[in-house]
Amino acid sequence: MPPQRPEYTIGVDVGGTFTDVVLRGPEGEVTVAKCLSTHDDPAEGIITGVAAALGRTDPSLVTRVVHATTLATNAVLERRGVRVAYVTTGGFRSAIPLGRYARVEEDRYDLRFDPPPPPVAAEDCFEVPERISCSGEVLRPLDEAAVARVGREIARRGITAAAVCLLHSYADPAHERRVAEILRRTVPTVVISSEVWPELREYERATTTIMSAYVGPVMEGYLRRLTSRLAGIGITAPVHVMESGGGVMPVELAARRAVATIESGPAAGVLAAAATGHPDAISFDMGGTTAKACVIRGGRPEITHEFHVGGKGSFGGRRAGTGVPIKTPAIDLAEVGAGGGSVAWVDAAGSLRVGPRSAGSEPGPACYGLGGEEPTVTDADLVLGYLDPASFAGGTMPLARDLAEKAIDLRLAGPLGVSRAEAAHAVHEIANAAMGSAVHVVTVQRGIDPRGFVLVAFGGAGPMHAARVAARFGIATVVVPAHCGVASAAGLLAGDLSVDRVRSALGADPAQVFAELTEAAAADLGVRPGDPGVSVERSADVRFTGQAHDLTVPWTDSPGDLAARFSARYEQVYGIAQRGPVEVVGYRVRVTLPAARRAEAPIPAAPPPGTALSSGAGTASGSAAVAGASGTARRTAYFAETGGYAEVPVFTRASLRETGGPAIVEDAESTIVVPPGWRAVLAEDMAVILTRTDTDVETDTDASTSASAETGTGKGAEADTGTDTGAGTGGSHE
Amino acid sequence: MSDALTAEVLRNALVVAAEEASIVVVRSAYSTFIVEGSDASAAVLDAGGRLVAQSMATTLMNSMALKAALPEVLKDIPAATMRPGDVFVLNDAYRGGVHTNDLLVYRPVFAGGSPAYFTATMIHVSDLGGLSAGGMAPLATDVFLEGLQLPPVRLATSHGIEPAIEAILRANSRTPGKVMGDVRALIAGTAVAAARVEAMIAEYGPAGLARGIDDYLDYTEARTRAALAALPPGRYASSYSIDDDGIDLSRSHTVRVAVTVEREEGIPETADPANGAAAETPGTAGPAGPAGTGVPGTAGRGRVVVDFAGTDPQVPAAINASASQSLAAAIFAVRCFLDPTIAMNDGCLRAIEVRLPPGSLLDARSPHPCGGRFVPIYAAMEAIFQALSDAVPERAIAASGILQPFSIAAVRAPYWIHLSYDFGGVGARRGKDGPDATGVHFGIGRNSVPQAEPVETRCPLIVESVETVPDSGGPGRHRGGLGSRTVLRFLADAHVTTRGDRLRTPPPGRSGGLPGRLGGFYRRRADGTLERLASKVNNALFRAGEAFVVETTGGGGVGPPHERPPEEVAGDLRAGKVTAEAAARDYGVTVREDGTVTR
Repeated sequence: MPPQRPEYTIGVDVGGTFTDVVLRGPEGEVTVAKCLSTHDDPAEGIITGVAAALGRTDPSLVTRVVHATTLATNAVLERRGVRVAYVTTGGFRSAIPLGRYARVEEDRYDLRFDPPPPPVAAEDCFEVPERISCSGEVLRPLDEAAVARVGREIARRGITAAAVCLLHSYADPAHERRVAEILRRTVPTVVISSEVWPELREYERATTTIMSAYVGPVMEGYLRRLTSRLAGIGITAPVHVMESGGGVMPVELAARRAVATIESGPAAGVLAAAATGHPDAISFDMGGTTAKACVIRGGRPEITHEFHVGGKGSFGGRRAGTGVPIKTPAIDLAEVGAGGGSVAWVDAAGSLRVGPRSAGSEPGPACYGLGGEEPTVTDADLVLGYLDPASFAGGTMPLARDLAEKAIDLRLAGPLGVSRAEAAHAVHEIANAAMGSAVHVVTVQRGIDPRGFVLVAFGGAGPMHAARVAARFGIATVVVPAHCGVASAAGLLAGDLSVDRVRSALGADPAQVFAELTEAAAADLGVRPGDPGVSVERSADVRFTGQAHDLTVPWTDSPGDLAARFSARYEQVYGIAQRGPVEVVGYRVRVTLPAARRAEAPIPAAPPPGTALSSGAGTASGSAAVAGASGTARRTAYFAETGGYAEVPVFTRASLRETGGPAIVEDAESTIVVPPGWRAVLAEDMAVILTRTDTDVETDTDASTSASAETGTGKGAEADTGTDTGAGTGGSHE
Repeated sequence: MSDALTAEVLRNALVVAAEEASIVVVRSAYSTFIVEGSDASAAVLDAGGRLVAQSMATTLMNSMALKAALPEVLKDIPAATMRPGDVFVLNDAYRGGVHTNDLLVYRPVFAGGSPAYFTATMIHVSDLGGLSAGGMAPLATDVFLEGLQLPPVRLATSHGIEPAIEAILRANSRTPGKVMGDVRALIAGTAVAAARVEAMIAEYGPAGLARGIDDYLDYTEARTRAALAALPPGRYASSYSIDDDGIDLSRSHTVRVAVTVEREEGIPETADPANGAAAETPGTAGPAGPAGTGVPGTAGRGRVVVDFAGTDPQVPAAINASASQSLAAAIFAVRCFLDPTIAMNDGCLRAIEVRLPPGSLLDARSPHPCGGRFVPIYAAMEAIFQALSDAVPERAIAASGILQPFSIAAVRAPYWIHLSYDFGGVGARRGKDGPDATGVHFGIGRNSVPQAEPVETRCPLIVESVETVPDSGGPGRHRGGLGSRTVLRFLADAHVTTRGDRLRTPPPGRSGGLPGRLGGFYRRRADGTLERLASKVNNALFRAGEAFVVETTGGGGVGPPHERPPEEVAGDLRAGKVTAEAAARDYGVTVREDGTVTR
C-alpha cells in the first residue's frame, strides 16, 4: 500500500457562545474540541480549539481547513460593517432610504411605526447621470466627470467603500464597470452589482451589493488574520469558507464575496444532517434563541435564491420586507424565535405565551442562577425532569432546579391557577408547536409531505423536543447523530468547493449566457470547466408569460421539457395545475469541485465507543446516569401519557443498546427524550435512532402547526384518517 | 380536546391557515396590482359569519369585506345546498363587496355534514370591464360604468370551474386569460386554507375546535376592551373634507365623526353571559378552566362608539364607499390607538361599535358607484386619527398625505395595464418625525410600490425617477414625512387614470406644526412644461414622449418649527429632506460653509 502521508482535515464553526473544532484523521476518526468563542477576534478562539483538537498530531499533516463563520451576519445585525457610499442612476438616489419594507402583524396597527433604518444613510447616497434600457441599449451616456466628482466627495468624507448599482446593469454592465474604474482612483473598495449578483429588480440587487461592500473589508481583514495565525501554528493548508448555499469557497473569494457567507453556520449544520446518509431528511436544529429547519431531498438541501438578513420571523418564515434582502443562493432554512431561552409569560388577558423574547445567555433561564427570574423553555424542561441539573452541558454548568420551580410557580402556575407540572408541560407543548412551525414552513408550505422524512435533530436542545415535533407531522424516525452538539463543524467537512453565478436576461441566447457564466464561475475557483472532477450545474428561472414570480428549475435544451419541468414545479409549489406559454428570465450556474477524497463512512465514523472520542467538553456520564449494562440510572420525568411524573430509565449514549420509551438518553452534548410510544436504538455510527412504535396512536398526521401530544389519548377512532399532508399541493380545480 | 393552557397553539394554526392561502394567491396570480409586492387577502370565517383569522399582511379593508359578504352568500345559496368542493364568488358592493375588480371567493369547510367554516380569498383581479382598463373608473356616475357586477354565485364545484361563470368572466374582461389565472389562484388559496381547517377539525373534533375558537374570540375581546378602558372617556369629534368628486370640481364633501369612549367599571368580567365558553368547559381539569379564556383581573372594560352622523350624502360619482369598507376604516383607525399586538378577529370587532348613516358617502346604495371607496374611507381614518389624537395627546399624529392611485394602460388592444399608487408623507407623531412616503393608512408597506426594472420590462415606458420631495414635510418640532415624486415617460401613447385627494387643502399640522406640502398629478409635455391635472381624471391621453408626474402630499408637522433643535435641521439638510432656504425660512436655521449651525 502507498507510503502516503496521513491526511487530516479540520472543520471550524464559530458560534455565538462556543467555537467548535472537529478534526478528522486518515481513517475517518474524529476528535472534537469545544472552547469559548472570542468575539473581539474570533481567530483567537479558533487557534485555541484547533490546538486542542490536534493534540500531538503534526500540524503539517492538515490538508484542509473548512470554516463556518458568523462574522458577516454579526457585522450586519450589529451594524459593525464599514461606512458605505451608494452610487446609482440619476433619479434614484432616494430608493435605498425609502426602502421596501413590509408592515406585518402588529406593525400594521402601529401609528408610531418607524421604517427600518436604511443600510446606507440618505446623505451617503449619490447619483450619476446615465441610463441603460432593459434591453441593454444606452439611452443616456455616462457622465464621467460627474462620476469623478462623486468619487472625490466620497473620499473627502473619509468613506472607503462604495457600492454601485445602476438600473438594468444585468443587461449591460458597461456603465457600472466604468463607474468602478473611475471611483477606484479615490475609493479603496468598490463593489458593483453586475459582479455581485446581476439579476433584475434593482432594490434587492442594490442591497446585496451594499452588504458586500459593507462586510467585505471586515471579512477580508479577518480571514487574512486567521490564515496567518494558522500558519503561525504550522498549518499552511488551504482555508475554505462555507457559503450560504452549502458549498465552500477559497479564502480569497470569500473576502470578495463576503455576502455569500451570511448563512455560513446554519448551512454547515444542514450538511451534517445530509451527511447522516438519509436521503430524505429534515434537519432540526434547536439552540438557545431559535430553532431552524431545512428539507433535504435526495441527499441535497433545498436552496432559496433570496433571504432576508435580520428579518422578522413570522410563523416560521423570515418574511420578505422585514430585513435586508440578499440575493445569493442560501440553504432554505426556516427559523423561528423559539429555543431553550424563550421566555414563558402570561399576557394581559391571562393566556400562556412562549417567546418571542429570549432570556439569552444573560441572565439566561432562571435555573442558570445568573439572576434570571423569568421562566424559560429550559426551566420547564428541567421541572419536567427531562434535563438533569447535574449533567447539563457535560456537567460544566449545574442547574438550579429550585430556581426554575420558583419562576414557574410565581410567573405561570400561580396566575394561571394550575399546578407547576401542568404549567411546565404547557410551556413544553407550546414550544414544540412553535418549533414545529419551522418544519411546517419548509415542508407543508412548500408542498412537501413530511411523513416519509427522517428528522435529524441536533443543537443543544433539539434532541429533547425532536420526537414531539416529529409526531406532529407523522414523522416516524428521528436521528440524533453522534457529536450532535458540534454538528455544524462536522458538516463542514462534507462541503464541496463550489461557486454560483447568475444573470437575468430576457430573450438571450442560453448557450452563450451559460458559457459565460460557467467561465466566470470556474475562474472564481481557479479551475477550467473541463478539468477532471469539475461539474457544472445549469438551471433557469422560468415563469408563465405575464406573471411576475419565477421558479428555478434544472436546465434542459429542450423547450418542451423545460416547460414540463416548470409546470411540475409550479404545481408542487402552488398546487395549481396551470398550463400556458413560459419564458426564461434568468440563468444560473453552479460549478463544483468535489472535496478531496472523503471517507465513504458517514460522519462521524464509528470508532469503538470511548476510544477515539476525546472531547474537550468533558465526558458523557453525569451523576444521575451510570454507564454500563448493569445498574441503569433512573429519574422521574413527566409524560402526559403516563399520567404525570414517573420513574424512567436514564441511559448514556455509551450504555444504550435499545430501549422503549419513556426513557432519557443523555451525553455531554445533549439530552434525548424518548417519549412513550417511541423506541431508541444505538446505531453503528453512534447515532441514536428513535422510531415510533405506537402506530395505533398515530394521530398527529395533519402536519399543521396545530397539534398536541395529549391528543394521542383523546382521539376518536376517526382521527386516523391520514389527513392529506400534501394539501398544500392538493388544490387543483381544473 | 381543546386545552385552554395551550390555546396559543390553536390560535397560531388558524392564522397560519389564512396566511398559507394568501401566499399561494400572491405567487400564482396574474394581476399586476398584486404581483409586484402587494398582498392577497385571506381569511377563515365560521358559518355564522364571524371573522376567525386573517392573513397577516392583509388590509383590514379586505377582511371586512369577506366578513360582511359571507351572510349575503348564505342568503342566496343556502348552506344545505352546498357540497364539498363548491366555491362561491361575488363582488357586489352593496352586499359586502368592494368594487368590480375585487373578487371575493369562498369555500365551505364541512363538519358533521354541513358547512361549519368558510375559507375566503380576495384580490384586485386584472380587469373586469368598466370605463378604464384595470378597474379604476374615477368618473363613473353609477355602478354600471364600473364593470361587471357579480351577485353570489357558484364559481366551481369539485369538478372544476363552472363553464358558464368562466364564460361570463372572460366575456367581460379586457384581459380574459389573466382574469382566469387570477380566479384559479383565488380558488387554490381557499383550498389550501380549507385543508388546514379540516386538519384542525380532525384533531380537535368539531366541538373542540368550535370551543377553541369561541375562547379565542372572547380572549381577543377581553384584550380589546382592556385596551379601550385605558383611553380617557369622552366624546371627540373631527372631520375631513374631500377635495371634490371628480365631476363637479367646485364642491367638496365632508366626512364627520364623533368618537365616544366609555368605560364600564365595577362589572365583574366573568359574569358576562356572552362568555359561554368558560361555562361550557367544566370538563377540563379543575382550575385549568379559566386560563386561556381568561380575562385580566384588574383591567376594566372599555367600549367605543364611532358615529359618522353628519357625513355628507352619497353622490353620483366615485367617492362613495360600501359599508364594509367604512367599517374597516373605523375599526382600523381606532385600533391604531390600542395595543397593536391584539389579534384581528370578531372578538376585537365586538368591542367597537360603528354607526354609518344610510345613504351617506360611507354607506352608499345602488346605483351609486363605490369603486373610489378609498377616498371616503381614508377621509374617515384621517378624521378618527385627529379625534383620537385629541383624546390621547401623547400618541397624537398630525394629518398625512394620502394614497395617490393611478393606472396606465394601452389605448387599444392588446392591453397592457400598469396599476399602482404612490404614498403621501405620514404626519409627524408626538415625539417623532413622520416617515417618508409610506402607508400609515391600513398599515401598507412600501414593498407594494413596484420597482422600476420590472415595470420597464413589462410596459412601454421609462421610469425616469423616484425621489422624495425636499421641503414637502410639514415643518414642526417634529417634521412631517416627505412626499415623493415619480416621473414616468411614455414610449407609446397611453391612457392615464388617476384617483387622488388631499391635493387641494394641505394636511394641517398639530400643536403649532405647519401643514405638509401639496402634491398633484401632472403632465410633462415634450417641451418640458408642466400641466397640472385634476385629482381625478379618466383615460387622459398621453402621447409618446410625454411624461406623467405623480407628486404626493407631505405630512403635517407637530409642534412649533422653531423648537426643532438646529442640529436636527442640519441633519435634514444633509439628508436632503429640507433645502437651505426652507431651513432658514421655516426653522430660522442656517448652516455655514464650515458646518457651524446658527439660529
